[in-house]
Amino acid sequence: MKIDPLQTQQVYRKNKGFLESIHIDGWLLFGVLLLLATSIAIVYSASGGDVAVMTRQIIRIGFALTLMLLFAQIPPNILYIFTPWLFLIGIIMLISVLLFGEASKGAQRWLDIGPVRFQPSELMKLVLPMTIAWLFAHSKFPPSFGLLVLGATLIAFTGSLIVVQPDLGTSLLIGLSGLSVLFFAGLPWKVIFTAFAGILLSAPIAWHFMHAYQKQRVLTFLTPESDPLGSGYHIIQSKIAIGSGGIDGKGYMGSTQAHLEFLPESTTDFIFSVLAEEFGLLGVIGLLILYSFVIARGLYIASKAQDNFTRLIAASFMMTLFVYIFVNIGMVSGLLPVVGLPLPLMSYGGSSLVTLMISFGILMSIHTHKKLLTK
Amino acid sequence: MPVHEHLEFNSDSDRFHQKNQFRFRLYIAFIFTLILFAILITRMTQLQWVEHDRYQGLAEGNRISIETLPPTRGKIFDRNHILLADNQPVYTLKFIREKMDNIDSATLAIQVILNNIEPKRIYEFFKKFKQKNRSKSYTLPFTLSEEQAAQFSVISHKHPGITLTARLKRTYPYGATAVHALGYVGRINQKELKNLDPKAYRGTDIIGKSGVEKYYESTLHGSPGIQQVETNVRGRILRKLETLPTTPGKDIHLTLDIKLQQFAEALMGEMRGSIIAIDPQTGEVLAFVSTPVFDPNLFVDGIDHKSYNTLVNDPNRPFINRAINGRYPPGSTTKPFMALGAIENNFISPNQKIYDPGFLAYKDHRYRDWKRTGHGLVDMNKAIVESCDTYFYELSLDMGIDNIHNALAPFGFGAHTGIDIYGESKGILPSQQWKKEVKGKSWYRGETIISSIGQGYNLTTPLQLARAAAILANRGKIIRPHLVRSHKTETLEQIEIKKISNWEKVIQSMENVMHSKKGTAHKHALHLPFKMAGKTGTAQVFSLNAGDYDAETLDKKLHDHSLFIGFAPVNNPKIAISVIAENSGSGSKTAAPIGVKVIEQFLKMYYPETYPEQTPVNTREN
Repeated sequence: MKIDPLQTQQVYRKNKGFLESIHIDGWLLFGVLLLLATSIAIVYSASGGDVAVMTRQIIRIGFALTLMLLFAQIPPNILYIFTPWLFLIGIIMLISVLLFGEASKGAQRWLDIGPVRFQPSELMKLVLPMTIAWLFAHSKFPPSFGLLVLGATLIAFTGSLIVVQPDLGTSLLIGLSGLSVLFFAGLPWKVIFTAFAGILLSAPIAWHFMHAYQKQRVLTFLTPESDPLGSGYHIIQSKIAIGSGGIDGKGYMGSTQAHLEFLPESTTDFIFSVLAEEFGLLGVIGLLILYSFVIARGLYIASKAQDNFTRLIAASFMMTLFVYIFVNIGMVSGLLPVVGLPLPLMSYGGSSLVTLMISFGILMSIHTHKKLLTK
Repeated sequence: MPVHEHLEFNSDSDRFHQKNQFRFRLYIAFIFTLILFAILITRMTQLQWVEHDRYQGLAEGNRISIETLPPTRGKIFDRNHILLADNQPVYTLKFIREKMDNIDSATLAIQVILNNIEPKRIYEFFKKFKQKNRSKSYTLPFTLSEEQAAQFSVISHKHPGITLTARLKRTYPYGATAVHALGYVGRINQKELKNLDPKAYRGTDIIGKSGVEKYYESTLHGSPGIQQVETNVRGRILRKLETLPTTPGKDIHLTLDIKLQQFAEALMGEMRGSIIAIDPQTGEVLAFVSTPVFDPNLFVDGIDHKSYNTLVNDPNRPFINRAINGRYPPGSTTKPFMALGAIENNFISPNQKIYDPGFLAYKDHRYRDWKRTGHGLVDMNKAIVESCDTYFYELSLDMGIDNIHNALAPFGFGAHTGIDIYGESKGILPSQQWKKEVKGKSWYRGETIISSIGQGYNLTTPLQLARAAAILANRGKIIRPHLVRSHKTETLEQIEIKKISNWEKVIQSMENVMHSKKGTAHKHALHLPFKMAGKTGTAQVFSLNAGDYDAETLDKKLHDHSLFIGFAPVNNPKIAISVIAENSGSGSKTAAPIGVKVIEQFLKMYYPETYPEQTPVNTREN
């Protein structure tokens, strides 16, 4: 007699601690709180000591932490039940953004629901990987060819809805989060390598279809000095900020690049440069260690998860987090082209923070809603 | 057994194997993460260690910053190139917290110099300022007179971090005159900010809020330039290099004549209402009056609460643009259009007579004429000249509401005129379909009867009335009223004319309103050396949308509205006009003399030849 893990009545482990009884993972919480505290300090400095900016950030963090706590209470099997519906809602919202979305800076990404302005692609960051994991929940690893193709189709469909907003960056990142599920589900290596080769070969074709501003970003990325006062300005100033920080930095509140306003978007996309300028290489290494710690804990939770669905989403959430960190830092240090992405848990701003904290809530739920298996 | 059993792990060893495979992938992912993080750290080592000296040098020598040069807003002139909206240099103070040593003593000094501003407001600015970005510059929201600026220069050395700057401020030299047409600018608010192109508005903190200033925002605004500014390490500017020149906003010429506008506004005195004068041949709006008015200069730098509340709570509602938003029953001014519709569509012939005993009995109700004793036998001419109600009651029952609707619609009733300012009301031109859609009820014939004299559901804006008068004056050429002169000549649509003599007969009757002994307005036109056409109207108020005019002085507000439409000269119309004076009694008493005076003034100014003879010669200026 086999036990369907999703239908087994929950039996909690004995002698659990207080945090676990409220479905919080202490280690994860510790890492996240350290990062958020850093965020508050750096945002304050990057804004030139703007109390109002810092207060808003603290309020957002409080809100996001509450959401994390709430989502940690939802048992994974409930999420499992809702996943396909959430996906359906997400797709409908993406389509309605295209139809009636509010255009801002030439792209339609926002949906106005009463007093709230909402970015459906933000929801999809979580729901797409969950949906793919849902597809594979009862399959063996690797899933059958048919299921893999179905998963890839859903990813491509969702991605294409976001590409036409147009938001190439987000679309690629959301696509990656879906693909990471395929990877963890055991997508055969030869498929992976073939796909890589295919992407490399198709790059020139993609170039052909890019918007002018996207091409400009790529060109600027390749030679930022060619356009020192246009798009390359951001990267040059960011590199100056990072480089001038040196090993131990200029000290807290000492970022001349941000304070003399050479560094653009210093509280949002380029907040890493402020941190690097003020805390130097040591600060950067510290930050990356902190991030690695959170990711490692998340992957550990994935490895201890009891069923396919939770395994896959835990692992995929961590990969998404990693990709965002890498892309942002790569961008501000001139390794990658400029894509408007915040640095997870650091940048000033609400919507990406909320999504992230929800994903941490789900991870904690996975780890603390364990069942006693009968064997 | 669960159906999906064969999809589940088939055996313990299989389960074990799969779990291991998953863990293996986790390891790979984590190692991948660490490798890429290592790449990032390598990159950082390169920037922060290997190339540190170079970047350190660059940061210290980072002296080229980019500054935006906001464009100068286009000016607004009247049709004769008289300046109506200008940009005047004013002085103000800028503060950078980082560079100031004592904010409190600065606050005190500024409170002393700016003795015309409440000290509390200056204190509040600094209270907020203390919490803002310490390296950014913030501008005092008040302006300094030249004298105050001089006073500050004397003590400025004691207050580092404060700079005296001059900027351009929008000013309206004619003050409240034509405010409802011209509109005004004010500070950009949060909502506007969301929909703006941040690049185009960098360095600009004002935007058109209403009227022409809003409608032509994109023309007036221009686009900012960029300049490279070379500074020393402390941020002091050494040299400026312009890289992208500023494109100033374009100037705009209105069709208004500000002298005529002032003349017309003065005629309204304390009354609430509107005067619209249009050139019937082009649709150019010559005068655009909505009273009471307010001073747009108050809004440019942000209005203080007290003045704002006084304006908002004024029972006369100065903010309402009555010319396009005031919805009034047209009353008897609707009659010429009714009559034309009836004779053009053969519901009655112009000479056919109807007997008026002073009322029309329909079902159990007597619909009364304004003249209790009745007008006796009435033909179309007499019906318009004496404004006989019963004639039109009878006519309306023959026509039915939908035919009335179809006859009036081409004159633009119940539709936007398309004028070039935002927020225009459509008014209401009722029909059976309209009532079903809006009220959800079917039409009663009794309602047709009161519609025929412009009461009941009928609501028009003053602009619609003036336009209708212009279309009539034009013999059916449909003009679009506009406030800004355009150099394009529009091709105008034409109302289908079945018999031009019908039009001439109606216009003749309107001429008789002014110039025949029985005409309702004839005593005001006795002295005129030219012939004009007109129609008076007196609208009962209880049908007015009460919510729009919530009044304390209720009794006065129940007085009738006084209306007048007209154009002149009859044979070659140069001006068409509508006048509405709220709660000012009958049309012949109040609105008609105002209309006559505006027309007279205009013809004196532009067609002096009309005086003393009647042959207008085209010698308009410009």
